Amino acid sequence: MDLLFQVIVNGLLLGGLYALMALGLALVWGVLNIVNLAHGALIMLGGYAAYYLFTLLGIDPFLALPLVMMMLFVLGYILQRYVLSLIARSPMFNTLLITFGLDVIFMVLAQLLFTADFRTINPSYAGTHVTWFNLTFPTVQLFSFAVAMCLTVGLWLMMLHTRIGRAIRATAQNLSAARLYGVNPKQIYALTFGIGAALAGAAGDLYGVVSQITPYIGATLTAKCFAIAIIGGLENPLGVIVGGVLLALIESLTALYVGPTFVDVASFGVLVLVLIIRPQGLLGKTA
Amino acid sequence: MKRLLPLLLIIILGVLTALPWIAGPTLVQFAINALMLATLAQGWNIIGGFAGYASFGNSIFFGLGSYGVAIAMVQWNLPFGVGLVIGVVFSVLFALAMGVPVLRLRGHYFAIATLALSQVMSAIFSNLDIAGRNIGLVLPLLRSDTLFYELSLGLLVIATLTVFWLSRSRFGFGLIAIRENEDAAQSMGVNTTRYKVLAFTLAGIFSSLAGGIHAYWITFIDPNSAFDLSLNVKMIIMAVFGGPGSVLGPVIGAALLSAISELLSSTLSSVASLFFGVVIVIAVILMPKGLTDCWLRFPVTGWRYFIHNIRQHRL
Repeated sequence: MDLLFQVIVNGLLLGGLYALMALGLALVWGVLNIVNLAHGALIMLGGYAAYYLFTLLGIDPFLALPLVMMMLFVLGYILQRYVLSLIARSPMFNTLLITFGLDVIFMVLAQLLFTADFRTINPSYAGTHVTWFNLTFPTVQLFSFAVAMCLTVGLWLMMLHTRIGRAIRATAQNLSAARLYGVNPKQIYALTFGIGAALAGAAGDLYGVVSQITPYIGATLTAKCFAIAIIGGLENPLGVIVGGVLLALIESLTALYVGPTFVDVASFGVLVLVLIIRPQGLLGKTA
Repeated sequence: MKRLLPLLLIIILGVLTALPWIAGPTLVQFAINALMLATLAQGWNIIGGFAGYASFGNSIFFGLGSYGVAIAMVQWNLPFGVGLVIGVVFSVLFALAMGVPVLRLRGHYFAIATLALSQVMSAIFSNLDIAGRNIGLVLPLLRSDTLFYELSLGLLVIATLTVFWLSRSRFGFGLIAIRENEDAAQSMGVNTTRYKVLAFTLAGIFSSLAGGIHAYWITFIDPNSAFDLSLNVKMIIMAVFGGPGSVLGPVIGAALLSAISELLSSTLSSVASLFFGVVIVIAVILMPKGLTDCWLRFPVTGWRYFIHNIRQHRL
């Protein structure tokens, strides 16, 4: 019984990070209608940024979060403003292709610049943990869960209550109407993609602390993010939290009770089922 | 030009048929691979180019075809041809069973559902005893590149002829109508569900045959290589680079891109993949309708063709 509870705790803690990973993808998808296949690569770049800030400059990965997010924001802003906006009105698979091309470019560049070695960000408190009610909570996992939750809720509040958030939602609902009300879509699209990239950067920073980074993690992470975004729905950041936690729980419970080789069957099977039965996501409104 | 094209194609086909007796073994092996990719791109063209459904699930059919041949030959000691048929039967069943629910989804949702399905299939096969689990299966060795070459060439010719028929048949026009506006197509009396499922099945048959031939040629398959997602991405890139929805576009795209990546990877492998990424990005920006469209329009408009494309598609 203790094992079950421990697995659930681990799943919950990992689920927070999963939600943060998928948050940027869901935001960009919902607003720009771009399914960003390079999202996982952006997470990977965020991980490397945090890794080098920590090993070269000694900046703690949790303190480095704003820096990493800023770097990725600039990268995302430039990408959308000067590359992706050129094909904004192309057929759908062209956006898939161009982001896949970017994914390849980032992966190869990372391999050339950072080598293919496994990297882990290892702060002094990495091995410590807290014990409550006989359950173990690793410190870094706990921290990263808290940070992920703060960022997700923060994004939600920003979308609801700030001028930029309202402009982003307006653009997502109706581009021409938003334009008539004085929103500059180029600016808003670039900002949104930048925010999405910054969130990916934050996720990469935390991922580097709790797991390992290589240049090749991008594709797997993108696939996971899809699953989370679809399960949770694109409308609401809180849905992404539900999606992230659900996916992490499904993965860890399948690994425990069915076998580690069935993890992908379960997680992607749930994704297909959700798509077929409720394409708007578990929490999405019915049309 | 229009009247010369069939003659030109027949000459090219003649040269290609004779290739194993003219060229060296390296070139033939490269050609087998390129022909397989061209067949896959042509198969994707039916569902992606004509019907406009960006399928990431064609590698499922490739995998089913590979495993059909592998299981038939290794576990049941059946001949190669029977294995191909088994693979095709499984692919058709899969396309009919999964096509109906999945093809209801549109746009990105369809793309992701098929992508997820291919991951599920890969994971299922890595747990099947009869398919050799994660380790895969080793097929009997047949050292005859000429045979595999002619088989691949024949398959590509059949696939291309099918697409040619498609481009001037009622069925093909129905698919194009679905791509342009599915609701309008339905209200004009196109049975969209049946058309889409048939297109998916047709694409599946060609991918499955290509997979079967490839498995016997390469003599080893495992779940990762059989349901390889990057193979699916490759066929999309080749079809879109060449010209989705055209007859010869995917073939030209596949031939050009495999030649480029082969030439580059023999010199500098990591720079080759970097170049591949850059080519995709630039091609999508400058010629979103593919090489065939560029070839037809570029002589008329010149460099303005590229500027026009950017103007038309930018925000």
